[in-house]
Amino acid sequence: MTGNHTHQHAGTAPMVEEVTDFEVLEIALRELAIEKGLFTAEDHRRYTEHVEQLEPAAGSRFVAKAWLDPEFRRLALDDAIAASREMGVDWLHPTGFGTPSDFTAFEVLEDTPTLHHVIVCTLCSCYPRPILGMSPEWYRTPNYRRRIVRWPRQVLAEFGLYLPEDVEVRVEDSNSKHRFMVLPVRPDGTEGWSEEQLTEIVTRDCLIGVALPKPGVTANAVRPVHPAIRPVTSD
Amino acid sequence: MTTDHDIASVRVRTLEHIVEHDQIWERVAAEYGVTHAVPPWKSSLDAMCDALDEEGSALPVLTRRDDEDRITREVYASLPHPENQLVALAHSLVARNVIDETELAARLEAVRARLDAGGS
Repeated sequence: MTGNHTHQHAGTAPMVEEVTDFEVLEIALRELAIEKGLFTAEDHRRYTEHVEQLEPAAGSRFVAKAWLDPEFRRLALDDAIAASREMGVDWLHPTGFGTPSDFTAFEVLEDTPTLHHVIVCTLCSCYPRPILGMSPEWYRTPNYRRRIVRWPRQVLAEFGLYLPEDVEVRVEDSNSKHRFMVLPVRPDGTEGWSEEQLTEIVTRDCLIGVALPKPGVTANAVRPVHPAIRPVTSD
Repeated sequence: MTTDHDIASVRVRTLEHIVEHDQIWERVAAEYGVTHAVPPWKSSLDAMCDALDEEGSALPVLTRRDDEDRITREVYASLPHPENQLVALAHSLVARNVIDETELAARLEAVRARLDAGGS
């Protein structure tokens, strides 16, 4: 398959619509390493987030404020673009990130104890850039884009996120005029926390929906070092 | 464990096939008109290296890095970066008996089937 067959939205980059041997090798090695206990899928997700060093600061503050301020929460759910302006992000003029095509319908997806959202762009790589920064590289791979809509629990498990069966998983597909961000459930153990403390645990992956916020887990946290659960030993 | 001396001389035919197939990023990116400099799996590979270094003891960091330098130079000199980094890591894990080559070949086939099942 060659030539101009990639789907493109205005202002977005073309995509490689082909699974390469190297992509397959990277996944195969990672899965075998996880199965052998060299590290966990959750470890790998955290290191990937660290590697990419994105700072979805506005989105994190947005969620922390929505957790603390019922009025802002209502505004966030009714008119996310107006709520974004309160966070200093104007979707009409997204300086630094994005293109005019990023002026869209922006919607905040509210999680509940029995409903979990995750976002994707199955056609290309649409992403709420003004508020979350650049998308992670894995978000743009055919692997994620094709499989998250068909087998969401399997793909979430690959990120180390295992949801109980009684939690409904809803996958929202972005497009050139419609972008989404997840508003996760505020986790237990954060009672009495300040907006700043809450902001720290709302990582990019929580806003996409491939991770859940947890007290003590921040993008910049010192990562624990522990031995493999099932270490491989030489004979 | 295989000694350092043997690492580069071990032949891993599964990886040789991948090299021969030549689906390097530079080539497929050009074919699809993509200008991004690195392939989408690069950050995941970096994270895998970090996770191996920090979370386990199967391939200590200095060993991994020394292997990478030596194997990319001596075995996979025809591959560009970061393909050579990825293949060198796989070579190192196989040559040091952390991952069995037969097991790797089977997994490659399974992953390929799973990803292709996603359709286009």
